[in-house]
Amino acid sequence: MQLYHHQQIQVRRRGISRRSFLHGISASAVAAGTMNLRDLMSLQAAELRKQGRAMILLWMAGGPSQFETFDPKPNHNNGGPTRAIKTAVPGIEIAEGWEQTAKVMKDITLIRSMTNKEGSHPRASYQMHTGYIPSGSVKHPSLGSNIAKQLADPEFDLPSVVCVGRNSPAGAGFLGVDYEPFVVRSAGQLPENVATTVVKPRYKRRLGLLGQLEDQFAKRGGEVVVKNHKQLYGKSSKLVLSPQVKTFEFSNEKRELIDRYGDSDFGRGCLLARRLVEAGSTFVEVVSSGGNGVRNWDTHQDIFDNVATLASQVDPATATLITDLKDRGMLDKTIVVWMGEFGRTPRINPRTGRDHYPSVFNAAVAGGGTRGGQVIGASTNGGDAVAKRPVTPDDLFCSVCKSLNVNARAENISPLGRPMRIVDKGEVVDELFS
Amino acid sequence: MHFFNIPSINSKFVMTLVTVLATGALLCDSAKAAKRVDAKTIAKQVDRLIDKEMNSNSVRVAPQTSDEDFLRRITFDLAGTTPSPREVTLFGLSASSSKRSKQIDKLLNSDEYATNWARYWRDVIFTRATNMRVLQVQRPFEEWMTEHLKNNSGWDEIATEIVTATGDIRDSGETALIFAQEGQASEIAAETSRIFLGIQMQCANCHDHPWDSWKRDQFHELTAFFPRIGLRPIREEMRTISYEVVSVDQESRRRKGGQLFQNPERFIRFLDRNRDGKVNKTEASRAPQLARGFDRFLQVADKNGDKALSVSEVKNAQFPMPNRPGQGSTEYFMPDLDNPTSEGTRMNPKFFVTDQKARTNMTDIERRTVLSRYLTATNNEWFAKAFVNRIWSEMLGQGFYMPIDDIGPERSADYPEVLDLLSNGFAASGFDIKWLFRTIANTDAYQREIRASDPSGATPAFASATPTRLRADQLYTAIFKVLGIDETKVRGAGGQMNYRSRRRSPRFGFNQIFGFDPSTPQEDLLGNVPQALFMMNSPGINSLIRANGRTKLAQIIQKYPDNEDAINELYLQVLAREPSSKEMQITTGYIKNVGNRGEAYEDLLWSLLNSSEFISKR
Repeated sequence: MQLYHHQQIQVRRRGISRRSFLHGISASAVAAGTMNLRDLMSLQAAELRKQGRAMILLWMAGGPSQFETFDPKPNHNNGGPTRAIKTAVPGIEIAEGWEQTAKVMKDITLIRSMTNKEGSHPRASYQMHTGYIPSGSVKHPSLGSNIAKQLADPEFDLPSVVCVGRNSPAGAGFLGVDYEPFVVRSAGQLPENVATTVVKPRYKRRLGLLGQLEDQFAKRGGEVVVKNHKQLYGKSSKLVLSPQVKTFEFSNEKRELIDRYGDSDFGRGCLLARRLVEAGSTFVEVVSSGGNGVRNWDTHQDIFDNVATLASQVDPATATLITDLKDRGMLDKTIVVWMGEFGRTPRINPRTGRDHYPSVFNAAVAGGGTRGGQVIGASTNGGDAVAKRPVTPDDLFCSVCKSLNVNARAENISPLGRPMRIVDKGEVVDELFS
Repeated sequence: MHFFNIPSINSKFVMTLVTVLATGALLCDSAKAAKRVDAKTIAKQVDRLIDKEMNSNSVRVAPQTSDEDFLRRITFDLAGTTPSPREVTLFGLSASSSKRSKQIDKLLNSDEYATNWARYWRDVIFTRATNMRVLQVQRPFEEWMTEHLKNNSGWDEIATEIVTATGDIRDSGETALIFAQEGQASEIAAETSRIFLGIQMQCANCHDHPWDSWKRDQFHELTAFFPRIGLRPIREEMRTISYEVVSVDQESRRRKGGQLFQNPERFIRFLDRNRDGKVNKTEASRAPQLARGFDRFLQVADKNGDKALSVSEVKNAQFPMPNRPGQGSTEYFMPDLDNPTSEGTRMNPKFFVTDQKARTNMTDIERRTVLSRYLTATNNEWFAKAFVNRIWSEMLGQGFYMPIDDIGPERSADYPEVLDLLSNGFAASGFDIKWLFRTIANTDAYQREIRASDPSGATPAFASATPTRLRADQLYTAIFKVLGIDETKVRGAGGQMNYRSRRRSPRFGFNQIFGFDPSTPQEDLLGNVPQALFMMNSPGINSLIRANGRTKLAQIIQKYPDNEDAINELYLQVLAREPSSKEMQITTGYIKNVGNRGEAYEDLLWSLLNSSEFISKR
């Protein structure tokens, strides 16, 4: 048993699942024995990475109302005063306040029949990030970390998994620090502690002295910790000294484009997401968590005013992100998913708000080989149930994996040696791709 | 790498002999009520067992570590901080042959000991929690645990209070484990087993354990001790300000709304206005408790699909999912995996290690009290073993069993007879926590020099010390101490804090970056990029390592114009040791090359703080 564990850990550390690796390599290549295991593994990983696929998650923290976003019900009491507007695709209408997004509807698929059971923020957020409900015994990796493990280039100077705005509700879990999201609090400037406090030559000089002293500790018996530490400092100082850190700043970006993304944290976050993906990041999450006096999408009161404020930030940013990706020829390989942890109640409460509602909510998907210009599923007239084509979070996750050429059933080995799939259940939503 | 475990008749025979010879008296006693044995006596027996094993395999153990290294090691382990230069010097100068064991006693009696280990247990319990609101109970837990450690309460007493906890989380720190798992019976069962027994049962939540003999039933029988735990929000002006862990010994909700179940005939007659013998939705609206869930009720009970409920339909209603996590249910039902909406199988509480049962129909507190008795009884060897294995691992960098929270009868341990000896001694001491620290700290095994461990695993465990990573709290305390800053004077650090202001405190922020689950094996603790960036580039640290102004560094270089003196002092300050001659050569050479004395010292201090040695216990 211990040997088995040991091997699993070895494979896990190298960052590639042994099983998926064996899938991708022909038996003859292995039999020929011209390359060692490590070479073969990096070969296959490189093959995947060349495809340059990536995901951008637009996370509406707090749970966005489907009625005030992409599933308005203007002819029903439950719909409230929210009007519907036409979009670039005849027959598809969305809520007012989303005029920019309406213009790029040809690239967007709306899913109006998302359905789930978790109605508490932390549990649902965790599930919508990892595909698993929380459990005290194991920390599940987020989908983003899973994707990065499959696709990211370990030699990339910048972080492969980035979360813009605040901490992600779930991180790398048991996949470990290599896939932990790098948090950027405010987009448009260098992240915390990336800028050196001394001039670069002096910083390098310090690193040199540090290296010499480290060797002394290694000789005294600290060999193993010194080796790990050097690796970590190598990686970190590479980031600090990399010309690519410019990616975090917008100085070479056109003013007009920055303006189109919008003067909001979310707008700047979306622009950063595009820049990071362009530079080589694999997964970027941009969190919409308010601003202008609105806390987040958890609109238990004054929902109509609050969503209007939030939409004024998210609408232009989302639309510009899709156009910008398309203009650069990146949309086909970048899947953009807009969603939150659940939807909101059909009934408008006495405080003019809506409460948590996981049984029906909506999501929007663009790019990454998806068709766009369509609606999948529907809610009932009053919006209180799924009327057709229910889509579970697992189904959506499977679809994301398909878009990225990642095997959704690829297994990770949990710390207790239990194989766990990236997505345990669910099926690909075929309509997305047809 | 586990050649000690390879069973061969010879080694087994020898081992048994050794065990009998060394611990014979104790083993005989432990069958009755074991007698408490002095810590140093057991420490010697531990070393004898380990040495014997090393000798028979011709392993040369590392020599005893220097006074400097010992002092830094024991100060971090017991008090969670680094010794001051003065302490290092005085300790080195002392000629007393018992100075190490005296130092151990002194540190065990310090306030820092209690704080340090309370923080350790906070991390054990909370790093597995997934909900931010659990932060509310962190501070009360730390305070509660600190008090217990200061008073040296027995580990059995602490475990009992945690397992049987009730009350407002703001003033009942012992509710931490329950609140961290949001009152959910199966999660509480899994964590109770993991933390107090080191045994991971939760695989058996869904199926028989794949490689242990635990059966699915056994996990759910353990869970059946906890279903009556409820979490009740405490509200003030519509806002939830806290939570209370309560016992739900009656199905209060269902009983109140549940005249329907107690006397369906009468209830239906009462509501049935059109006298058709059943209740429809309009009629149900007169009874708000029924009206609220009427549609759901129909789905379950309305057998003939007429959208109304008859007496027989109510009587035969099978309610799905009787377990209401965090809300309390009087009984626990094991879910039927093939039919998740069915009620499942009712489970009676039974403790899987010893097969002891609780009477059915016990109240919540009775059940949990009974479990705590089974858990902490001396016939359950895993209670002592899990604790001993964990503390030994934290102090020596590796446990007898690894990982420390996945042990049990089907795992193999390194030096099992040493673990038995310590565990029996710990139980005999009345689960005296300080006794265990004193015993481990006094062993030669603990006091060995560090030596690079061979990555091929050829060096057996405990032949030498290995550097281990400092926990976030230890590192935070050390940074302030070596930079000569009073931690409580840092902005946002002092005073009474509620959990919101606590989330903004500098120590909390630091822990967010540097914290890790203390049950993680050392080889998996590799650090991460934000940690390195923080140590290298955070403006806060860089402002405190300036060579001018009122910094510690400025004081040192002013007081010691001679570079060798200054470097000596700086090493003592940061690493609690003097530099080697090679290090002296490198650093004096560096200072000479740079030319600017202040700048060079800033670089040196920066390098020492960023070194792997600084963030390690050596």
